[in-house]
Amino acid sequence: MDNSKDCSIYTEHIESGKRKVTLSLTVNGRKVVRDVDPSMTLLHFLRDNLKLFGTKEACGEGECGACTIIMNGKAVTSCIILAVEAEGAEITTVEGLAKGGKLSILQEEFVSQDALQCGFCTPGFLMSSRALLDHNPNPTDEEIIEALSGNLCRCTGYIPILSAVKRAAERERKELGR
Amino acid sequence: MLSRFKYFKPHTLSEAVQYLEKEDNSYVLAGGTDLMILLRRNLINAEHIVDIKMLPEIAAFEYVEGVGLTIGAAVVVNRVVDSAAVKAKYPALNQAAAALASFQLRNRATVVGNICNASPGADLPPSLLVYDAVVNIAGPKGARQVPLNQFFKGVKRTALERGELVVSIQLPDPGEGDKSIYLRQARLKGHDLATVGVATRIKPDGKVAIGIGAVAPTPLRLSALEDMINERGLSRETVEWAAQEIKQHIRPISDVRSSAAYRLQMASVLLKQGLLKLIEKED
Repeated sequence: MDNSKDCSIYTEHIESGKRKVTLSLTVNGRKVVRDVDPSMTLLHFLRDNLKLFGTKEACGEGECGACTIIMNGKAVTSCIILAVEAEGAEITTVEGLAKGGKLSILQEEFVSQDALQCGFCTPGFLMSSRALLDHNPNPTDEEIIEALSGNLCRCTGYIPILSAVKRAAERERKELGR
Repeated sequence: MLSRFKYFKPHTLSEAVQYLEKEDNSYVLAGGTDLMILLRRNLINAEHIVDIKMLPEIAAFEYVEGVGLTIGAAVVVNRVVDSAAVKAKYPALNQAAAALASFQLRNRATVVGNICNASPGADLPPSLLVYDAVVNIAGPKGARQVPLNQFFKGVKRTALERGELVVSIQLPDPGEGDKSIYLRQARLKGHDLATVGVATRIKPDGKVAIGIGAVAPTPLRLSALEDMINERGLSRETVEWAAQEIKQHIRPISDVRSSAAYRLQMASVLLKQGLLKLIEKED
């Protein structure tokens, strides 16, 4: 499927004309080597170059968390990171969560708890939650709220999201022995 | 982004300094949480971005008893939040760090970047100021140290000269029996710049230190007020008096976050709360 034009809301990257920089990194377990424009953000790189459209741009200034990915184990906003800064990095995007066509436990619980309506913020919430559970398999409500403090949702409200993360943590501990 | 810049990632400090000195319109990139906004909004004409994250000198982050705390320019804010040593020895810094922006931003934003950006309302400077932080600078003429209270020169202006960059900041060991607290007022509970931020410290010898943000063109250490408080001797009466007197020592402006009058009032309230909480701890 050609989904390269499904992003009308999205500000396009404008080529700077400066000499490109060779970038090699690992995205969702796959090694990637590309020449990139030095002024390209990591978000644009993921979307434009790798066609990973799960990661969203909303504010573009690190305020809303829609573009959150996991970089070297940490939740970060990819809109305010240059692609070239990701040299050698290990990156996980929302596309890296489901395995073999099956949603992850965390994703299943977002569905079961109705933790999304329009869904635009969801990839960011999932990645912030994933980074939290990777470090802390049994977080308190306060710790979940803190970890998601940089993610904004404007339709569902945060209670279903909170319960989705709590249930996912519980299930992961039980089913995956975390 | 419309910015057109060359990206340079030096491997040594001297390489970085030489490049910064030679090239016009070059900017240092560490966490990028402030710089990237400026680039995106085309508020600066950046022709060169110097990414300093590879420099070995800026990775330092350690507390040594009797010496103090060193925070290298690469140290992100969440590392300070998570540090047991900072929590135990520099509570006001821990609290300010935990209050800064959002969780994701704290994974990128650096402590040194927060001072180099020199925003009047930045969260970390008031706490760093009460601990007498010293800024370690590298430049074309070699290394130099500047006390943090002489580092801020105006809104978004610092003592850094052409070719210079901050390698680390150093905080002396406060010693046993030191107490501090950082209190901030913001428009909402989530991430928002502070309307007013006040760091209050009572040193082991009983002397008071006060740092404050968002009430002047730069973060301030209120040394004159501290002297007056220390002269009177710390008591509940002195706290009441200081809460009024502080209004003579700051000059806030009205902006989108607050009126000047509200800032004056909140500075008064936060100083009083901070000092009372620290006194109560003592009792």
